[in-house]
Amino acid sequence: MDPRYARYPFFEGAREAVREAELSPAALVRDGAPAVERGRERVERALMEGTVASETPRRWDTDTEVLSYPIARILVSLIDTPAAVEKYAVAEAATARERFDVDFAADDDLGRAGRARASHGEVLREFDIADAVRPERAEPPGSERRGASSRREPTHYWVGLGSYLDLAEAGWGQRWRLVNREVAAGEVRVTAGGLSRLLEAAVERRVASGLPFEVRGSDGGDAIAAALAPAVADLRELLNDHDAAGRTPVDAVVPALFPPCMRTLLQRARDDGDLPTTAEFSLTSFLVALGMDGADVRRLLDADGDTAERIGTRVEYLAERDGTQYPPPSCATMKAYGDCVDPDDRCETISHPLSYYTDAVREAGDVRDWREAAGEG
Amino acid sequence: MEARTRTYLEGRFGDYYRRSGVSLPPAADRREWGHIPWSAGATTMVRHQSLLDLGDLDDFLHRTAPRHVYFSSARFADPGAGSMDEKGWQSADLVFDLDADHLPGVDPEETSYVEMLAACKGELLNLLDVLDDDFGFEETTVVFSGGRGYHVHVRDPEVRSLDSEARREIVDYVRAIDVDRDGLIGTQSHQGTTRRVLRRRGGWGARVHTRLVDLAETLREIEEDAALERLRELDGIGEGRAETILGQLRHNFDAIRAGNVEAGGPGTRILVDALAEETIDDETAPIDEPVTTDTKRLIRLPGSLHGGSGLVVTPLSRAEIQGFRPLSDAIPERFRGRDIRITVTEPGAVTFDGDTFSIQEGEQSVEECLGVFLMTRGRAEKRTE
Repeated sequence: MDPRYARYPFFEGAREAVREAELSPAALVRDGAPAVERGRERVERALMEGTVASETPRRWDTDTEVLSYPIARILVSLIDTPAAVEKYAVAEAATARERFDVDFAADDDLGRAGRARASHGEVLREFDIADAVRPERAEPPGSERRGASSRREPTHYWVGLGSYLDLAEAGWGQRWRLVNREVAAGEVRVTAGGLSRLLEAAVERRVASGLPFEVRGSDGGDAIAAALAPAVADLRELLNDHDAAGRTPVDAVVPALFPPCMRTLLQRARDDGDLPTTAEFSLTSFLVALGMDGADVRRLLDADGDTAERIGTRVEYLAERDGTQYPPPSCATMKAYGDCVDPDDRCETISHPLSYYTDAVREAGDVRDWREAAGEG
Repeated sequence: MEARTRTYLEGRFGDYYRRSGVSLPPAADRREWGHIPWSAGATTMVRHQSLLDLGDLDDFLHRTAPRHVYFSSARFADPGAGSMDEKGWQSADLVFDLDADHLPGVDPEETSYVEMLAACKGELLNLLDVLDDDFGFEETTVVFSGGRGYHVHVRDPEVRSLDSEARREIVDYVRAIDVDRDGLIGTQSHQGTTRRVLRRRGGWGARVHTRLVDLAETLREIEEDAALERLRELDGIGEGRAETILGQLRHNFDAIRAGNVEAGGPGTRILVDALAEETIDDETAPIDEPVTTDTKRLIRLPGSLHGGSGLVVTPLSRAEIQGFRPLSDAIPERFRGRDIRITVTEPGAVTFDGDTFSIQEGEQSVEECLGVFLMTRGRAEKRTE
């Protein structure tokens, strides 16, 4: 099977390929194929971690990855709660978006997509919006935004009005309201990150469509439901526990508990004063996500002069957007930029630097906020 | 309304439809049709009909001679089904309604019908400006409603599938509801520093920017005193600040044209805020929200007669809009050229067919179109000839 389908099993082509392979879910379940275990992991990670990426990606081959998707859909249908469907679709979409970002960046560097990667154009075509999206022509020199100098990828796109309204939701925040957009000649201007967000919504919609479906009702379906019953019971329980525990928001800033990538960037910023644009963006967006303001960030980075001013503006810019448009990069993106360094054991368990930090703080228990400590010193 | 009047109007509406050649909207067979007959109580609508139920439209209109005729903005799999669920919604035209009764700053008690319709046309032009320039819609039909306003039907494929929520975004855009005034200005990095610039590539930011550049151009050319006076008309700009701003506009014109609002210092920012208010006041259109967000609405059929005025629901080409005089140009030819006898029950001023005059109470002979107008508006009854 096309290795791209392992990364994007919700593509139409993947569905075709599964159909043509004549590997029925019933047979997979009956034979206890690896796709069943991976499918279960897919759902479990989606419900618990908000990602569907495997914790042990090397264990699974392409076919198993692809086939785990229909299995996961069966599991979600059997769990049969709106929360499960929503969390699952959101996680598939978030994972896809991270992979898109990595693929598009690679696409850019090599001039073409590798075998396992999807190009920007392919993804737009997959969701039938290729004709509705066009990159903005480069601005005259000197007016580029963040990151533009280090990548050839366009900083902005124009999206057809109908597609924009179809995908964007007013609930994403003020910035996404049409009235606050640059709209001209039937197109809406979005940043490259904004377009990513729209694609994520398109994935979420596709994944959620048709879920949950009726599994039981035929001999084959009843057999599948019976065989998966223990897994479904476990997942239901996990979902309940997880919802009961809730997500304790972490608002303490404890640099010692930052993931290795962020610790390294922080050290470099303090030592050298300046970081490359993408690295500086990664670090500041991470800090903003912890609720730090411009003054805090400048102080933590020991920044002064021009650097301090630039960072202040960047923080203001990121904070204004409630983090919806520029969330801090995931592990996949950090890796793509070569900023993932010295991963430790905890890194193996997460797919996002923020999850690393949240887990670390929760595990550490009683922590002292850097801002309080700094204030006394 | 007396029975004689009703019977008369029904007959004459039927005569109008004999030769009207009302054209069908696209996909007419997938729309729901509705009408209000003359006979029954004026508010009972016969709806949930498909074109199949009506048969040939011209013939149906001639035969039935309804008081009002409507078709759905939506297309359905089974338009004649009795419930929305059974109809099977497929898509809907995007419809805008401007009503002269609901214009900001226009008091319906104090303003004449003609003046209200004129004000409404101004708002229509604002609306079309946004639909054309910002949204780039290509399949738009403008219609005089035959009553108190204008309708615009948009049938571009990419908007037909939008749900109510998406349509509300369009309404809010046209009315600039919830526009984030601070957000009109964004940041842009420039050789290591950051600039604050108007988001001028489209949307309300672009409209404010156009106004700013126009103003700067004008002020550069006129006398100093006149320029200062123009600036002081704006909110938050006093004597001293006007001078500073004028100096900045003259010296930093290129920066301002590039959207840079920092070039002029804090004064420029205040100027932008004031111009934003002006832009929103002048360029929004007070469209009726529920009409646009309702994806199953029945809309008056272009080419039909409005039972509350006897005027034609008139489709207008873009070229016709500017010169269109609703109270003359929408009069059906069918009702011209012969007089009828009526009894005026509500005398007073009337503006009709390019004239304003006072009409006396009691029985008299008037041109039929005026008679129909007065009778449909409840100001007269039919007398025997």
